[in-house]
Amino acid sequence: MEIDVRHIAKLAKLDIPEQEIPKMEQELSSIVNMVEKLPELTSKESLLDPENTMELRPDVVQPSFPRDEMLKNAPETAAGCLMVPKVVE
Amino acid sequence: MKKLYEYSATELAAMLRAKEVSASEIAEASLGRIAAVEDQVDAYLTVTAGEARAAAKRVDEKLAAGEEIAPLAGIPIAIKDNICTKGIKTTCASRMLENFVPPYDATVMEKLNAQDIVVTGKVNMDEFAMGGSCENSYFKKTKNPWDTERVPGGSSGGSAAAVAACEVPLALGSDTGGSVRCPASFCGIVGLKPTYGAVSRYGLVAFASSLDQIGPFGRTVDDVSLLYGAICGRDVRDATSRETSLGKVEGSVKGLRLGIPKEYFGEGISAEVKASVYAAAEQLRALGAEIVEISLPSTDYALAAYYIISSAEASSNLARYDGVKYGFSGSREGTLNDLYLSTRSQGFGAEVKRRIMLGTYVLSSGYYDAYYKRAKLLQNVIAKEFADAFAKCDAILTPVNPTTAFRLGEKCDDPVQMYASDVCTVTVNIAGLPGISFPCGSDSAGMPIGMQVIGPKFSETRLLSIAKCYETAVGGFAVKEM
Amino acid sequence: MNNNFETVIGLEVHAELNTKTKIFCSCENRFGAEVNTLCCPVCMGLPGTLPVLNQQVVESAVKMGHALNCKINGVTKQDRKNYFYPDLPKAYQISQFDVPLCEHGYLDILVGDDVRRIGVTRIHIEEDAGKLIHDDSFDGTLCDYNRCGVPLIEIVSEPDLRSAEEAKAYLETITTILLYLGISDAKMQEGSVRCDVNVSVRPKGAAEFGTRCEMKNVNSFGAVYRAIVYESERQMEVLASGGTIQQETRRWDDAKNKSIVMRSKEDAQDYRYFPDPDLLTFVVSDEKIAALKASLPELPTAKTLRYVKEFGLQKIDAQLLSVNKARADFFDSCVALGRCEAKTVANWVLGDIAKLLNEQRVEITDTALTPEHLVGMIELINKGTISNTAAKTVLEEIMAKDVEPEEVVKEKGLAQISDASALAGIVDKVLADNPKAVADYKKGKTNVAGFLVGQCMRASRGQGNPATLRDMVIEAIEKL
Repeated sequence: MEIDVRHIAKLAKLDIPEQEIPKMEQELSSIVNMVEKLPELTSKESLLDPENTMELRPDVVQPSFPRDEMLKNAPETAAGCLMVPKVVE
Repeated sequence: MKKLYEYSATELAAMLRAKEVSASEIAEASLGRIAAVEDQVDAYLTVTAGEARAAAKRVDEKLAAGEEIAPLAGIPIAIKDNICTKGIKTTCASRMLENFVPPYDATVMEKLNAQDIVVTGKVNMDEFAMGGSCENSYFKKTKNPWDTERVPGGSSGGSAAAVAACEVPLALGSDTGGSVRCPASFCGIVGLKPTYGAVSRYGLVAFASSLDQIGPFGRTVDDVSLLYGAICGRDVRDATSRETSLGKVEGSVKGLRLGIPKEYFGEGISAEVKASVYAAAEQLRALGAEIVEISLPSTDYALAAYYIISSAEASSNLARYDGVKYGFSGSREGTLNDLYLSTRSQGFGAEVKRRIMLGTYVLSSGYYDAYYKRAKLLQNVIAKEFADAFAKCDAILTPVNPTTAFRLGEKCDDPVQMYASDVCTVTVNIAGLPGISFPCGSDSAGMPIGMQVIGPKFSETRLLSIAKCYETAVGGFAVKEM
Repeated sequence: MNNNFETVIGLEVHAELNTKTKIFCSCENRFGAEVNTLCCPVCMGLPGTLPVLNQQVVESAVKMGHALNCKINGVTKQDRKNYFYPDLPKAYQISQFDVPLCEHGYLDILVGDDVRRIGVTRIHIEEDAGKLIHDDSFDGTLCDYNRCGVPLIEIVSEPDLRSAEEAKAYLETITTILLYLGISDAKMQEGSVRCDVNVSVRPKGAAEFGTRCEMKNVNSFGAVYRAIVYESERQMEVLASGGTIQQETRRWDDAKNKSIVMRSKEDAQDYRYFPDPDLLTFVVSDEKIAALKASLPELPTAKTLRYVKEFGLQKIDAQLLSVNKARADFFDSCVALGRCEAKTVANWVLGDIAKLLNEQRVEITDTALTPEHLVGMIELINKGTISNTAAKTVLEEIMAKDVEPEEVVKEKGLAQISDASALAGIVDKVLADNPKAVADYKKGKTNVAGFLVGQCMRASRGQGNPATLRDMVIEAIEKL
């Protein structure tokens, strides 16, 4: 099983150092190989479970949190907002 | 003479009401014990002595004023560090959340605080609950009180070790693939993994949302029942939660049919573990149960299904740790992408990254059907097998772990070997069932062996009753002197 | 425009629903609040939090599904769409993937004199993302999460639209329906309706579609029109000069009237959709689906066609009436009273009333005007009690306050004078003051009579009966 570690790392926003890529590939392969033993199960149906459903919430407003509370764990804020490195629109 | 910290929660609650002891004395006994043994055990990430004393004082004031107190009032408890506590750091044992202070309480914390429980602190775990030994913590390695050279099990290793070391009578953990039952078994205490949906997950930092459940630890079955009864039930903030309550725990197995699935006693399971579990089954037969052989043939596939489903969900659940809103934040010198990469690469440990990579892979374009969807379909097959099995028996007896607690560092290098130790526990999460772990003997090194009892959905009362019956018959579970 | 090619367009319309709360938490759903003040641990994606789906979001979406003739999937679920961006706190958007709440529908739109049936592929529910603020006075981009978790429906059309006109008409009809159903504020200028446009071109008569480009950020009716014209011309030029179209995502810059490439097909994101494990399958019962269908009002296109058929209105007038639900409802109520011609009511609603509403920048429901009063006023005209000119004064009064038209007439002395003896003095004076006009009339330029009647009306301060005055003017000149 070939696993494109670089591509997966890009999707996951993880920086895997070049020298660790073979090890990561080997580890992922060994786990994925367990899966190769699974019986073939296929279904065109989507993954719905009508036997086990959820209740919906009534549309009733509750107070929001104070902004200071919501921002107090933030690494960087400005003007009541979170701040990130400049994003080109 | 029995020390105050050695008493069970049930005993302490009675002593409080009889005015034989004050809540402050109980709290001091617990904090004193933590101070005395913590350097050997390393269970705590945060000790909340101030909050604990204040909570105990409130209980004493209520008692002095002649007010009614709740069943868990004044009882010390340790909380796994992935359960959000308002104003108290909740780190998930990760560098990523080293300084994260939640602005809200998990639903279980609201319920327990409403009872005036005394929280002594937040305890260690595998980072984001990924692991079975507690060695994947960014901060420290918790030790097994029975042998501090050995792991306490995981991921709720801090919770189990704190209870086993008598630092607290109660603890909360969480169980995604065995994370309550495994450390309960390694540390010789009682741990319950409730039915999926029995306890609200609101405020439990997600690892794998469809498998995670919060579960109680104690040194006695009554204590675990007491804590479970206080936290279960539907929560409008958790769409997957269900209404349920604890019935009367009779402590009898008379007339119960208990199934032994041969697939759980295969070659990977150590001879000592098998022998102990069979002996315990024999004892339950003597106490009035009927033992029946059953078969759960898909068990072999459960581990693969578990690692696909849990890693897929984890890869999505842990994407929010991006250095923007909270937690560790990497380099802000470069671009947004640099911030993401540096935050996540430095903030997560190796095991967490491995699972994120695996989960990302199985969900990625072209692999969803082959891996994720196939695993979900297999999940239905496994759940159906259990449902069929419960037509033949009332509960199922199995080992918890293939072996007793292993040495620190022994299995760190090989993820697949580490994952294989979850083989007896993951099926329960995959099928959404309740499972209890309680001690059923020890190996030649004196390390505890655990037995697992699995029941149909929402059969917690029955499982606790079976465990209590055994506990009573053996004259209670041993506590390790430290 | 190159006549050898045909343009093929599909629209993805995102509409914010006007529920009281957000889709997955109980924070208020409101536009324009101070930054990050409508947030809680759930919509900020804090560790440990869980979404709980708002019932009203599902009901509003099902209504839209009915309005667009969709099949409603009563058993459905929510899926996660995974991608990293600072406006998305959980790094996934909760949306719907393979089982949308509504699908396989269509919408009839009016384009000129034609009715065009446009296929609606699907409507699904999802959460909106936050807002990024780009301001050069800060050394970074700011994130406001008030909009995180605002409920959206995404309406995806089939590639059935064939021109910018059709696309614009489709989008206008969608927003009108949203307002008819009362489920969205449908304000493109506030961003509560946003649009992505897929455009491809192909040689006329070709069976296969061409390679399509998606344009983002097309946020007004005019911009949709301009973006499509631009993009189809761009593609035709490429093809005409022997080139090929690259599948890509482009950003429309309305100020510069052009689109630029955002990302190519190779950069296409892998969203790794999977069912959200925090949200189970949910069910909308057949009874509920039927009840929501029964609650739908008559929709704009049906209304327009009925106005033409039943009342003989011009199609353009019928459409102008239908496009505004408040005015259409008002019109319907007036007609239902059965005391005057529907056409007369339409003329007033589309004419003087619309003019006054525009001047005052209000809607008809914001005024004191009632159907009874308007119809009462029209009856006074029909009986000859007031002139059309006087009626305009009456209209201003009955729109400003809740007062019977008769009272206004009485109070302001607006009753029309048809008594010749009372008007004789006015006619004599006007003729005496305008000898040139009188002379012209005598020379055969009889159309100056209108001018003289107008002068008489003015002199009577609008109260003279114009028909009576006309007779009197002509009679008097001929007697001279």
